[in-house]
Amino acid sequence: MSDTRQIFTLKQVVSSIRKTLEERYQQAYWVKAEMHKLNRFPSGHAFPELVQKEDDRIVAQIGATIWSQNLQRIQKQFAEVVKEPLKEGTTLLMNVKIVFHETYGLSLQVVDIDPSYSLGELQKERQETLKKLQAEGILNKNQFLDFPLLPKRVAVISADQSKGLSDFMQVLDQNSRGYRLFTMLFPAYLQGDMAVASIQEQLRKIERVKQHFDVVVIVRGGGGEVGMSCYNNFSLCKAIATFPLPILTGIGHSTNMTVAEMVAFRNAITPTELADFLLEAFDAFAVPVLNAQEQISSGARQLLETTGLHFTNETRLFRNAVKRCGEANKNQLHKISDAYRSNAQGTVRRHRQLMDFSNKELSRAARLLIEQGKEAVQRVPGDLKQRSSSALSNAMNLVHQKENLVRLMDPVNVLRRGYSITTVDGHTVNAKTKIEEGTIIKTQSFDLEIESTVTKKKIYGK
Amino acid sequence: MENEMTYTAAFDELQQIVSDMEDGEITVDDLAVKVKRAAELIKICKHKLTSTEEDVNAILKELEG
Repeated sequence: MSDTRQIFTLKQVVSSIRKTLEERYQQAYWVKAEMHKLNRFPSGHAFPELVQKEDDRIVAQIGATIWSQNLQRIQKQFAEVVKEPLKEGTTLLMNVKIVFHETYGLSLQVVDIDPSYSLGELQKERQETLKKLQAEGILNKNQFLDFPLLPKRVAVISADQSKGLSDFMQVLDQNSRGYRLFTMLFPAYLQGDMAVASIQEQLRKIERVKQHFDVVVIVRGGGGEVGMSCYNNFSLCKAIATFPLPILTGIGHSTNMTVAEMVAFRNAITPTELADFLLEAFDAFAVPVLNAQEQISSGARQLLETTGLHFTNETRLFRNAVKRCGEANKNQLHKISDAYRSNAQGTVRRHRQLMDFSNKELSRAARLLIEQGKEAVQRVPGDLKQRSSSALSNAMNLVHQKENLVRLMDPVNVLRRGYSITTVDGHTVNAKTKIEEGTIIKTQSFDLEIESTVTKKKIYGK
Repeated sequence: MENEMTYTAAFDELQQIVSDMEDGEITVDDLAVKVKRAAELIKICKHKLTSTEEDVNAILKELEG
């Protein structure tokens, strides 16, 4: 059997293929494919697998090449436009050249990736997540939870040592009002591919000990603004929306709000703002308490003052009433006492007048008497003089009469007239004189004395 | 949760006393009692602001168990 077959060397074949392909695919093409794995080498070049899936089944697959230089440019563009790194497992719109290398075979050489398409895809994911959450009726589920009066016990989902966490803790720890919050860190990846599963795992943990917590916060910051599309992931967003405790987010970025932030109980732009929000809740509790303290003490004071005032007024009214009543009585009393007094005064006056009168009368009478007495007394010397002189003259007359009588009675003269005196023992005689018969009697006449003896005695009877 | 109820209840009761007082529904007769009660409630509330009762280790133990 003569060998009529044309035999090629391998090189000829692959060169031919290459030539054919190069002729057939001269330009670059825009291809939509999922980059299954970036597969970056230390050299900086990447050799991703590109696939197309239908119902999660790979229906097309081919290896690709992104040269280091291209990769750097593409990644830069991506970060600027999409705010995401080139992410494995996402569908990209790539500008590719079909290349065939003699030793490496067929591959697609990626010269560019359209970031706008990816952005659109991400937005599409975001929209789809929102739509699905809405369809399940859980979009606002977390927001309908009751927020605790005091969010004291905080489960923190964050990355240890991250700036976001330290900002958050600093605000809480250094609050000037002395509030104390209990925080416990549940560390997780907060951006990129790992974030979805990592955050969900921590949420599951927290749910198991949820009675120890009031709220959950997801805090991120300082990690740049790429890798945030995880927060649009449906399964993560669902976990947040349906979580039994309020979830607060503070994941610090300036791009469109992610679905996670939209479904969370509350979203703060930064961790600092989130911490402030918690402290404000404390203020919202503390201020009314402090106000209550003030209001109650001032209210009590006011009530006491009002009551005191009321009491004082009542007392005053009562006192006035009593006073009026007393005055009325007093007036009556006054009248009565006045009447009494005037009566008494009248009586006294009358009596006094009477007394005065009596006194006057008395003194007048006395004076009269005295004067009469005086007059009488004054009259006495005159009278006396008068009386004494007349008495004297009377006396003198009497004396004269007596003198005459005496002169007449002078025994001598008597004797001269013929009378005689009979004596017994020197005594004149009378009826009592003891004269008996035989008694010697002496008889004396003017010029003669006779001694005789009694012979007869005769007593003249009365 | 039990603690939360306590301070929430304390807070609500305190607010009630304040509004009763503002509405003039507290008389001098029960003033002393109300003020004393308010002082207790304020104490509870203030304590809640400045203290924590949770223990990380206990929670971790619960997670392990």
